[in-house]
Amino acid sequence: MAKYLYNQEAVENLKLSDTSVLDRLVDFESAREAHSKKEHAKKDKRMTIGEAVATFVQDGDIITDGGFSYVRTPHQAFHEVIRQGKKNLQMIGSPNTNQSFFIFYGCVNFSHNSYSGAEMRGIDRLYDRALKQDKVKILSEWSHGGMAQGFKAAQLGSPGVASKQMIGSDLVRYNPYLKVIQNPLKKDKDPVVFVPALYPDVSFIHCHAADKYGNAYIYGPAVNDLAMAAAARKVIITAEEIVPEGDIRYNKQGQIIPFFYADAVVEMPFGALPGSMPGCYYWPRQWWEKCMRWATLTDENAKIFLDEWIINNKNQFDFVEKLGGAKWIAEARRQTKAAEGDNEDIDFSYEEFTLNHDSGLYY
Amino acid sequence: MRDLNAPANPLETLAYIIAQQIHDHSIVYIGTGLPMVAGILAKKTHAPNITIVYESGGQDPIEGDMPWSVGCPFTWRKSPTIMEMAYSFAQCYNGYVDIGFLGFAQVDMYGNVNTHMIGKDFHHPKVRLTGSGGNNDLSSLMGNMVLVGLQTPDKFPEKVDFVTSVGHLTGGNSRQEAGLIGNGPSAVISPWGVYDFHPLSKRMRVKSLTPGVTFEIAQSLTGFELLKPDGDIPQTKLITDDAVKIIRTEVDPRGVFTTMPT
Repeated sequence: MAKYLYNQEAVENLKLSDTSVLDRLVDFESAREAHSKKEHAKKDKRMTIGEAVATFVQDGDIITDGGFSYVRTPHQAFHEVIRQGKKNLQMIGSPNTNQSFFIFYGCVNFSHNSYSGAEMRGIDRLYDRALKQDKVKILSEWSHGGMAQGFKAAQLGSPGVASKQMIGSDLVRYNPYLKVIQNPLKKDKDPVVFVPALYPDVSFIHCHAADKYGNAYIYGPAVNDLAMAAAARKVIITAEEIVPEGDIRYNKQGQIIPFFYADAVVEMPFGALPGSMPGCYYWPRQWWEKCMRWATLTDENAKIFLDEWIINNKNQFDFVEKLGGAKWIAEARRQTKAAEGDNEDIDFSYEEFTLNHDSGLYY
Repeated sequence: MRDLNAPANPLETLAYIIAQQIHDHSIVYIGTGLPMVAGILAKKTHAPNITIVYESGGQDPIEGDMPWSVGCPFTWRKSPTIMEMAYSFAQCYNGYVDIGFLGFAQVDMYGNVNTHMIGKDFHHPKVRLTGSGGNNDLSSLMGNMVLVGLQTPDKFPEKVDFVTSVGHLTGGNSRQEAGLIGNGPSAVISPWGVYDFHPLSKRMRVKSLTPGVTFEIAQSLTGFELLKPDGDIPQTKLITDDAVKIIRTEVDPRGVFTTMPT
């Protein structure tokens, strides 16, 4: 017996023959049970990323994209998921740009789409091809703000929120989770969209510092991460550094994820590469240009590029070496501090990657 | 170094026209690309006291180099606070944001926007595009929304292939009846013209045209019947030499968003 009354028009438009694939994202009862059963004691949860992925990511899980596409996003944890060959995953996030890498390697088969792309650097041809080849099925279409409200509803401890976003658009016709209802308090007609609380299975959160218990500190845009950490059944913290608990208590007031959300804590300097990490390192901008402009052109290009940067790396240190090692680190740190106004202004000129010019430099 | 004496290109022209929509002391929501150039240009010229808000959560930064992304440190450089994504859009809902700028792949005669796909079959489109991102949110929530993009008959079709964001829906009062707040898009800006919407029918109408562009030319670049304003069609104010210089030396010195693709 079906547990949910999905938006039937969207189910039909999306050609979903079996809606049970939709259930777990909104299954509050199972999320509450997972939260209540996980380790509540303040224990040392440190492990390697390999152990964390092997232990906490099951085939079929709903995983989240985090940060903002390539700002404080747990890319290096994602690469480990790909290397471990997890299968049949669903992916959700605002933005959801990094789903394309998982889809390419057959790890993610289902997409809760909000935005897939790298802004002005060109459209995501990997995602475009994957959709046409039926390598991925879209389960729901969202706006950034609408999905953010779904995660926030979970963090608020609410079955859902009434929204004025997405209403009237085709998003509602391609999202089985959304239903248009009358605002019950208004005398006049006042349609609102009911956005259910969203409960993904696994959230990786890359943070600046965490203690061994999982208290995790974020500096810069939190985007949806505080809400996703509260909602997800399993939370894996990857941190630029592990610090004593006292450092969090005394020095890191601000955006903190509480330790009891965390299932695993992984020390992972450069864990956001090839993204940027506020306060720590700027983007290897040419990496994204080469990815979007060259690698996504054909599946053959994509395989050469992504194998080199994901499959053939053991860990993030291999990634750093390929970017230029210590020279890259020094330059990326200088750039991010300058961008944030924390040292002298510098010249942000660089040799952009184009199809006619590949300098081979990543800073 | 960019050639300071070369004539303005269409992207610079567009950035200037967008900037002219921004009033000083207002709160401005900026999407990626040209709106960033326009916002910073406005701040460096006629509107030094605006507050810029970005969807990654950055707001009120001290401006620096051109942001490489809406999540770039330059969008939250020494910001007094950085919003979570849900709260950033909530500021639009709650009435704090005065004007917003976003791009489109297609815009139709009622200002509905498509950033999802080109083609009629959702499952096998000709081209799949990014999806909504924050586009739908701003269109749903803003009191004053300005759409910015290039103009061809394909980009200005009678009906968009996917309604990512509601403009004036099917015209008249249909936007309000569907439950949306805000007034819907107030203007569409392309390098060739500035368009608004007829107050009753909500159909797209010429407001002003770039010097050299006639109504017939604008119509030939549009996939539906454009409405003509009463009287003579004004010319859009041309970008000044000073503004070109400021774009090339201060706003986008490396031409991230304002050099023409080769």
